[in-house]
Amino acid sequence: MDLKRQLMRTGILANSLPDALKIYDELKTVPGCETFILLCRATGESRGRNLGKHLARVFLKRGSLRSLGLIFSRKVFLFQKPLDHPQMLARLQKLKLDVGLHKAGVIYREPTINAFRLGILNPHIGILPRYRGRNVMEWALIEGGPVGITVFFIDSGIDTGKRIVLSEKVDISHCRSIEEAKHYLFNLDALFFRRALELLRSPRFEYQLNDEQQGRRYYVMSRLFREVVEKLIEAKS
Amino acid sequence: MDGRKLISQALNERFRELCGVRLSHFAPETSGEMASFASQVREQLSTSSPADLNNRASGMNTFDDWTVSDTDCLSSLRALSLGELLQLQPGTRPPLDDFIKSLDKARADPEQRFQLLAERYACPLNFTLAAEDETRERVLARLMAHDRARIEKDSIEAVESLDLLLRLNLVAVHAARTPDLRFLDALNYYYELLPDGWQPKATQHKQLLISYFALYARALAAWI
Repeated sequence: MDLKRQLMRTGILANSLPDALKIYDELKTVPGCETFILLCRATGESRGRNLGKHLARVFLKRGSLRSLGLIFSRKVFLFQKPLDHPQMLARLQKLKLDVGLHKAGVIYREPTINAFRLGILNPHIGILPRYRGRNVMEWALIEGGPVGITVFFIDSGIDTGKRIVLSEKVDISHCRSIEEAKHYLFNLDALFFRRALELLRSPRFEYQLNDEQQGRRYYVMSRLFREVVEKLIEAKS
Repeated sequence: MDGRKLISQALNERFRELCGVRLSHFAPETSGEMASFASQVREQLSTSSPADLNNRASGMNTFDDWTVSDTDCLSSLRALSLGELLQLQPGTRPPLDDFIKSLDKARADPEQRFQLLAERYACPLNFTLAAEDETRERVLARLMAHDRARIEKDSIEAVESLDLLLRLNLVAVHAARTPDLRFLDALNYYYELLPDGWQPKATQHKQLLISYFALYARALAAWI
């Protein structure tokens, strides 16, 4: 099936409706793209708590009418068990989705990833292949490297999925702290998902290779270096 | 402000704190059989500036190929932490593939992992060779992902300290010789993670904790 011509079915994997709605709204402008919201349990969360949380969000929060509208139009699906549970996998497969969009605090196993025809896209707040792993924005700053966002199809490794759809530097010089800069980058997810989906549908699109040999895996940064990064951000803003 | 300068300032502060405060916990009366080693390290580091350590390090062993020393891994680490030269001779590098397989197999066996690392890196300087990159990445990942998470979730008692401390020592030896800041920052992280004043009971463990701090100080000095 050629995704460039066919209708593309995407599923936003999120832990809550508000998390998903921003992406949902952004994708409305992508032609030929039908979007669903897949609400799933965050890792370690109980089933009862998960259901209660979703119901509270739907009925008690602002925009509840809109949420209800989406639910009744069968755009929202609640996954009460872990996504790699056989029942949930069967449900995912039945939805026949082309692309998953990662917005949930869960770890995806191979069967879940494979339930999407092309896979699951992740908006990583670092430039791949150079910066894999944790605290990559901070590491880029301390090393004087590029800060940006890479949208790529995940595999079961740590930022090792081979297919990069989009990788772009982002200016964070207006941010005054690590927290503000990360918040800014994370908030660009909807925009980057939209651009990635548009690219996937464009006639001349080709993946960039996420070649592990061209980068390193980074780890949680020490307090000492985080303080250096704070000063660097402060000095640049 | 220049990033390199900020890093250098932060590391200089850490150096002073490490050599002045943290190492003071290793008083001879609490260091058991390691009392003499602890005293030597304390004296050397409390009276040396980073520049002194770097000057002494400039005459240290330099090499590009696999070498063997006439002492075992822990003795070599002790010597390196005191800034002493190792007696090195050219040697044959054991195959890496088999070693990596064994290391992976020993994932759940800290004693076996310790033996494997201590044997291959009897001369710890070999850990810094470019060709040992795969082992280094595994050692770093184990420290900063698996062990860090376990210690943060439970406590330092949740991991086997001999194996953990040997890996910290090897990382410290490398951190002083590489521009890759991840290795130095693993040492920064563990300095912040290990409870202040924590001392393992067994002698070998205690030695490795002291040599970790001494080699960390040398790595900091190399960056200041």
